[in-house]
Amino acid sequence: MSIFLSQIANGLMFGSLIALIAIGYTMVYGIITLINFAHGEIFMVGAYGGLATLTYWVPTAVVARWYFALPIALVAGALVSMLVAVAMERFAYRPLRNAPRLAPLITALGVSVALQEAVRVFYPGATAAIPFPPLFIQGAFVIPIGDGVVIRYTGILLIVVSLGLAFGLERFVERTRLGRAMRATSQDRDTARLMGIDPDRVIVLTFAIGGALAGVAGVLYGSYLNNINIDMGFQNGIFAFTAAVLGGIGNIRGAVVGGLVIGLVRALGGQYLPGGTAYDYVWIFVVLIIVLVFRPQGFFGESERVRA
Amino acid sequence: MSEVTSESASTTETAEAPVRTVPAAPPARHTGRLAGPLNALAPHAKIGMVVGGVLSIVGAYLAWSTFVLNEGAYPERATLTMFVEPFGVTGFRLHITLLGLATIVVALLRVPAKHRIVRGLGVGVTAVAVLNGLWITVEGGGLGAITASDGTVAFGSIVALVGGLVTVLSATAGGLEDKPVWEWKLAWWVEWILLLVVFVLILLLVAEVLTSGGQGGVVNPYAGVVFLSLLAALAGAFAALNASGLLTWVGEVSERHRVFSVVVLLLCALALPFTGAGTEYWMTVASNIGVYAATAIGLNIVVGLAGLLDLGYVAFLGIGAFVAANLSGAAASVIGIHVPFLLVMVISAVVAGIFGAIVGSPTLRVRGDYLAIVTLAFGEIFVRSAQNNIAGLTGGANAIPNIPQVALGSFQFNQSISLGPIQLPGGVMYYVAIVLLVAAVMLVFGNLKNSRLGRAWIAIREDEDAAAAMGIRTGPIKILAFLIGAMLAGFAGAFFAHKTAVVAYDSFRFLESVTLLAAVILGGMGTIPGAVLGASILFVLPEKLREFADYRLLLFGLALVLIMRFRPQGIIADKHRKAELAEDPEDAAKEAPGALPTEVK
Repeated sequence: MSIFLSQIANGLMFGSLIALIAIGYTMVYGIITLINFAHGEIFMVGAYGGLATLTYWVPTAVVARWYFALPIALVAGALVSMLVAVAMERFAYRPLRNAPRLAPLITALGVSVALQEAVRVFYPGATAAIPFPPLFIQGAFVIPIGDGVVIRYTGILLIVVSLGLAFGLERFVERTRLGRAMRATSQDRDTARLMGIDPDRVIVLTFAIGGALAGVAGVLYGSYLNNINIDMGFQNGIFAFTAAVLGGIGNIRGAVVGGLVIGLVRALGGQYLPGGTAYDYVWIFVVLIIVLVFRPQGFFGESERVRA
Repeated sequence: MSEVTSESASTTETAEAPVRTVPAAPPARHTGRLAGPLNALAPHAKIGMVVGGVLSIVGAYLAWSTFVLNEGAYPERATLTMFVEPFGVTGFRLHITLLGLATIVVALLRVPAKHRIVRGLGVGVTAVAVLNGLWITVEGGGLGAITASDGTVAFGSIVALVGGLVTVLSATAGGLEDKPVWEWKLAWWVEWILLLVVFVLILLLVAEVLTSGGQGGVVNPYAGVVFLSLLAALAGAFAALNASGLLTWVGEVSERHRVFSVVVLLLCALALPFTGAGTEYWMTVASNIGVYAATAIGLNIVVGLAGLLDLGYVAFLGIGAFVAANLSGAAASVIGIHVPFLLVMVISAVVAGIFGAIVGSPTLRVRGDYLAIVTLAFGEIFVRSAQNNIAGLTGGANAIPNIPQVALGSFQFNQSISLGPIQLPGGVMYYVAIVLLVAAVMLVFGNLKNSRLGRAWIAIREDEDAAAAMGIRTGPIKILAFLIGAMLAGFAGAFFAHKTAVVAYDSFRFLESVTLLAAVILGGMGTIPGAVLGASILFVLPEKLREFADYRLLLFGLALVLIMRFRPQGIIADKHRKAELAEDPEDAAKEAPGALPTEVK
């Protein structure tokens, strides 16, 4: 029983991280129907950006105090990711806005490979995994059920920050003028333009928000797992995409639910399904295939919206 | 040396040519960013072109570097040693000289599409000058290496660069004509001889390109730049030939003598071991290219013809390879039986085909981007399973090593052969086998493309709903695309297993799928030569650019972005595709951003 509960907790922690990345996927797809493969790399870049800031620009005395280091790293990671995401939109995707659909997809693959390699080549020591400083109170508390369920404080931080940001973003999209402009653009870009919305600005904003969330996720990931490597983007990016599809693409709440489900599948699948943790990724992909085949609109997507 | 012949051939033939379409008159005035200078230059275009050509040649003969770049034995005078020896006219100097000469000759003659031809030549000169200049600067430690230092003057690259730019600008200023269309019909035997000559030239050219700069690596740091420089020069020469309309014409001639062309091309491919590329190393490189070319053609069926984007395609190559490895009698395989190679190929293909049908089955319900993700998921499942040594079939991290060589009686395929006085290197038999395999795959592809099935695929690619309305049973036909594509990859996989003697899950990662896809796109989707060309480029480059190994993938990613930006239809554009990818403002407007995407890709 306690193993089961621990795995649930692990799943929710990992899942809320995935949810944060998935939001970027779902927003970009919702607005320009592009699977932004490079979004996983944005997440990775954010982690390295946060780490670089802590390593090279902040005195160690400050890094040692988590209440300074955490906000600094989060803001730095978010900024770096945001800049990269906006630059990517400007230089790689915008010129292809009216190109056939295959072109941006291949471009996204190219950007993904290039970003990953750029970090590997230019970040000192990035050829191997790099240790990431803990950014939150270390240790854990134990819920006394069965043999005891251990919950790390960092995991709590992960869940709180992720769900908080997702909630804030949803309010932003639902309640503000800019949010309304985003929804309008995603429904019909030309009509939105007629209504006085500048779609280019809205798209940049979408990439910026998605990038910032991915950057935050990157830093949290580093502080949760205590090391980062350049492969983290691709793998988790695919999970996040799965989460976005699972929840119904274009839907922020769906992305969060999808992320949590993915986390649970991974944790419980690794625990209880044959093959153990070596195959936990495989179960996520199996879920992905099943969802895409049998319910491509996801949990929250409108069913009449057929996607080509 | 081969491009010498083609170059001079182009100039002599064009002089006496009857043309059907007279090129349009050059535009009177230029518009756009460079309008002012271009209009000022227009009346002097001819002089400008000649000056550009002369400058190029002068640049070629000047010293290029202020210091000795290479004291070693290799690559001797053939390549870059003569940076400080102005009069050794070999390597890139020869290329620039030839391009410059051609520029002058074409500029002075009355040749159709003159300015367009000259622009191609100028671009070639510019690219060669930039490449070599950059390389010397970077490797030689700063601008001093290509300017003047310690009393040595080395302005070669700058002069050549200026020459190239002047040529390009003057040609553009003179007004770019349309490509002329030639309608010569010669006696059949003349055309046969012509084709024979062209194909032999292509063979020599391929051997030259493949071996240019030699084997890359620590021993020979020049390999990369020599190779790239040759490519740049060739690109210029081909742009010029293409602008003259001659390439299109030769293409039409070979189309008229289809069977003859195919046979001669096959013989030429088989003759590669007899050229300068006939060493064990180059045979290995060529065989590897062949494996990926065959796989790329298979992928081309799925992506290029049927328009179904597959991001996990390399898994089928892997499945074929693992099946073959397990049936090869290798010590590490759990099955431990030995099956004859030909039978193994068939079994591998069938197994891969079955998996192809399984992977393809979601196409019944999933379209477009979502299908791409499903295939990616299947690919990842394959890699994960292989990594974990699923059912003991893949060896996991240990791979399956020591797969026995293919043997004909007592002759093993990696042994060398002697034909009378000629000693052919080891691995030649693998090369021959892969050439035959690629030829067979091409044959399959070519016939399929023009069959009822192929037309059905293309119809599905263009518009699935319309295709269904026309009575095409889209479901089975899409699965068939996956099945056949996977079978071709399975064939290649069986070959791959025996050729490399080790099969590890590492060779079948996502990045390999992307590379294959890039090969298909770079070459030109839906065309046969496109896939082979793309695969050759993408698998030769890393071999040549060993000294840039660290930056290889970075450059690869950037190249993908640039290709999509500037030439999405690939090097060899398919006619249908070309129409589809044209950036027509009307099309763009029709495809309203919010509208549901109808194309299935």
